[in-house]
Amino acid sequence: MKFTIPIGPQHPALKEPISLRMTVEGEVIRDADIRLGYNHRGLEKLAEERSWIQNIYLTERICGICSHSHATCFVQGVEKLMELNPPKRGLYIRTLVAELERIHSHLLWLGVAGHEAGFDSFFMYTWRDREVVMDLLEMISGNRVHYAINTIGGVRRDIDEMQKQKILDGMEVLKKRSEYYFKIGANEPTFVGRLAGVGYLSKEKAIDLCAVGPMARASDLPQDVRKDDPYAVYDEVPFDVCTADSCDVLGRTVVRIKELFESYKICGFLMKNLPPGDIAVKAPTKAKPNEVVSRYEAPRGENTHYIKSNGTNKPERLKVRAPTLANYPATVEMLKNGFIADIPLIFAAIDPCICCAERTVEIVNGRTGEEKTLRFSELRQLADERFEKMLPKRNAEWPF
Amino acid sequence: MNDLEIIEKTKSLLGDKILEIANPAVRRIFIRIEPWNLLAVVAGLRKNLNITYLATVSGVDLGESFEILYHFGHNNGSLTVRIQIPRANPHVESICSVIPGAILYERELQDMFGIIVDHIPDPRPLVLPDGWPAGNFPLRKDWKFERPEEIIPGGKK
Repeated sequence: MKFTIPIGPQHPALKEPISLRMTVEGEVIRDADIRLGYNHRGLEKLAEERSWIQNIYLTERICGICSHSHATCFVQGVEKLMELNPPKRGLYIRTLVAELERIHSHLLWLGVAGHEAGFDSFFMYTWRDREVVMDLLEMISGNRVHYAINTIGGVRRDIDEMQKQKILDGMEVLKKRSEYYFKIGANEPTFVGRLAGVGYLSKEKAIDLCAVGPMARASDLPQDVRKDDPYAVYDEVPFDVCTADSCDVLGRTVVRIKELFESYKICGFLMKNLPPGDIAVKAPTKAKPNEVVSRYEAPRGENTHYIKSNGTNKPERLKVRAPTLANYPATVEMLKNGFIADIPLIFAAIDPCICCAERTVEIVNGRTGEEKTLRFSELRQLADERFEKMLPKRNAEWPF
Repeated sequence: MNDLEIIEKTKSLLGDKILEIANPAVRRIFIRIEPWNLLAVVAGLRKNLNITYLATVSGVDLGESFEILYHFGHNNGSLTVRIQIPRANPHVESICSVIPGAILYERELQDMFGIIVDHIPDPRPLVLPDGWPAGNFPLRKDWKFERPEEIIPGGKK
């Protein structure tokens, strides 16, 4: 007998509205269905009515965690359309903010993963350390979430010697702490046991379903836009693409931890080699008719923006593809044949939880597939009717 | 593989199907094909050039026709396959049989442009709400958003 459990779209544990429907047989998930659109803001249509500069503001607000990613992806596309060459120093600062953002996002994810796995001290440690990098971001840009550092042709704020030193010190602190905590994590058998083998995604499936980011890299696909298609100054910065071959949540955790250390290294390199000079060039208000595909490696995977200009100060078309959308088909695959208890862990990256049940129960007739939403009183009435009709049988069998 | 090698290989493999091949910037290749060759070209790229990762599908309203762009990513940049279909008869073949990960992008295309994707495994709306009026396709250029008049129960005080 199969049941469908609805989770969301409005759910106390969900930070973002999304509807998941799990078809379960006992404890085992047989099928999962994702319904989107609860947070659709018509942004692509809106962008066509905004000027290039106004659109930076708009794209920055696509996401609250990787806000710099979308703004950078858009801005570097527009710079190609306007044939601008931003100065080196501006690109270094842009890359620095990108890497600091990656550190904050990965620390946040690790904390959530620790929390979902029942290892709350790990969660508190990583979130405490996340404050270090949040403070650095606030120092550089003046904001904790929407940094607003990008402008067409460069960045808006410069970094002085004192700030440079603070960033270097911050990276040292984070590196030492991370090493210590990850030693604890790796030597905690219950934590490792909880993550290993959960949410299996084979390499073939990851390729077929076009998974991106740490999800693909944990399935042994060395795919990273920073290496494959270097933007900003990534062609000058030494770093490695981190992969794992275990194809499960443990692999995804390992990939993100390795990427943290790479990011500390990159930030150190950027600060030690920060070139002198201007931080931005003046941008025109209009762009010639042209088109560009802009790619960016956000903390969660690849961002793709397709921008088409028509000679005015507004885009003809702006298509935004965020990494989470690309990972949904793969997420459905990972949930299949898993356990209900693993849903929060598998979904940890987008952070839902099923600890609180919804108020209505959706009853699916296992034989006809008919769905009905029932109140508790109706359910009770049904049960009463059923018991009244039921004859006591000697050789009773399970009805389905 | 650099850009030139990819262009050469694509030309030799799918030469008769390609109308135009452009390389406007480093690591960016655009290929224009006829819509009826789409499945064959995508399958050819996947099989022979190992271009398996579909980044997204963009639609553009050109007035009399729609342009659909399939953005692929690979380890040396990005490749875009573009087709044009008439606005009067907006049909395109689904590529899910070759690349299963294309499903969400094709559903989004159906919602936003009213382009009918033939043989799509799951044709339900993706981003538009349940009560969305039929025949309204937001990303078409002739569609304008009109804010519905706000009705406050009990009237405005």
